[in-house]
Amino acid sequence: MSKIEETTSFVIRFTQKMFNDENGEAQVQWRSHIRHIQSGKEQRFSDFSKAIEFIQSQLAELTLQAMEDKPVEEQKGILEKSFNIWKKVALDYPKKMMETIKDPKAQVEQIQNQVSQVGEVISQSLETEINQWRAASKADISQLLKAVNSIAADMNVLKAKVDEIAKDKS
Amino acid sequence: MSLPENHIETILKRKEETPLKIDTLGYFQVMLQNQIIPDSQWKRDIAVQLFQFFITIRNQRALHKEQIIYQLWGDVSQEAGSRNFKAALHNILKVIEPDKPSRSPSQYIIRQGLTYRFNKEAIWIDIDCLDELITFGNQELHQNPSLAATAYQHAAELYQGIYLPNRIYEDWAAEERERIQVLVLGAMMTLAKFKIKENPMESIRLAKRTLSIDATWEDAYRIQMEAYMEEGNRPMAVRAYRQCQQILQKEFEIDPLPETKALFKKISEIE
Repeated sequence: MSKIEETTSFVIRFTQKMFNDENGEAQVQWRSHIRHIQSGKEQRFSDFSKAIEFIQSQLAELTLQAMEDKPVEEQKGILEKSFNIWKKVALDYPKKMMETIKDPKAQVEQIQNQVSQVGEVISQSLETEINQWRAASKADISQLLKAVNSIAADMNVLKAKVDEIAKDKS
Repeated sequence: MSLPENHIETILKRKEETPLKIDTLGYFQVMLQNQIIPDSQWKRDIAVQLFQFFITIRNQRALHKEQIIYQLWGDVSQEAGSRNFKAALHNILKVIEPDKPSRSPSQYIIRQGLTYRFNKEAIWIDIDCLDELITFGNQELHQNPSLAATAYQHAAELYQGIYLPNRIYEDWAAEERERIQVLVLGAMMTLAKFKIKENPMESIRLAKRTLSIDATWEDAYRIQMEAYMEEGNRPMAVRAYRQCQQILQKEFEIDPLPETKALFKKISEIE
């Protein structure tokens, strides 16, 4: 039986080297090392896209192992979805990563802001909906009931029509 | 707090004073009342696994039993995980507290309801000792470099290899292993630099140890080059540079830093 959930982990070590080149210009270089814990495979890189490739290849292996007993078509579908996710990561992540290295605090703040903005939008829209009915009078509620009854009547008419069409087809 | 001069001694003495001692660097060994606990006493690997997990999370707050089970045996059923936990804990307590009356609380593993944690005050662990030595070395580095060097030297001796080598494929041990390795690499390099004039051969030994941990650590090649020159051994200094060049090219497709190149140029120009 194949597992639905699998966990895999990577440890990445970044070593920053700052130096002045032959022209006296300040340079920064990242020498890095990535290790896939569960297989022990490792790779060194100075270009972050190599790390992405490495992660992707290890995860693809994991995906293949997890679905080896599934039909070929299903395997193709899952792999395609997995590659789509990775295409996005490969395009966006190096940039994000470098931004994080440059200014980790700003990145964390940005993520926190995004999370709280989404939270605010949800809570504001819920609040608006709830507030509309918080101060509802008996007349408002009666109006709401009338509207619900009218929708229910329309639904019944619609259902009758659908039944009639289905009957004609058969 | 002891005087800085006595602080290293205080750190090291703690080992003698503690009845339960654990070595995790390069090998795993537990000593109780100065007697090594033989592997055969750990009846099953799950007991060793749980014990090593407690060591790894020793600086965290107490963990719920379910969290521990999930991290160690997340791929088995809940019932099997609970059985593992119970059997492993029973085995651990039998090994480290053989005389403890049953149902009495353990002095090493503190249980509160369904949460568990290590009583690290009652246990000597090599990684804690190493941590303390390096922290002390870092504190004293500018004020008292020779005292810092002594602390680093003890830390380097304590580092016998990677953290829990029998758990290299386990998720939960990876972070601690990496943290310790980076800490040790930094301490060994500072110490090796410090010793270049006074004891170049020791610098070379430390640089070689560093390179056995990470063959691309460029500072270690540069230290070797300088130390070999102190020893008057130019061919070996040149060789160290060539090795550095090759490995950086092979692993990163980059050249050595201008600082390393400049040192090589200086060495090449010496008659």
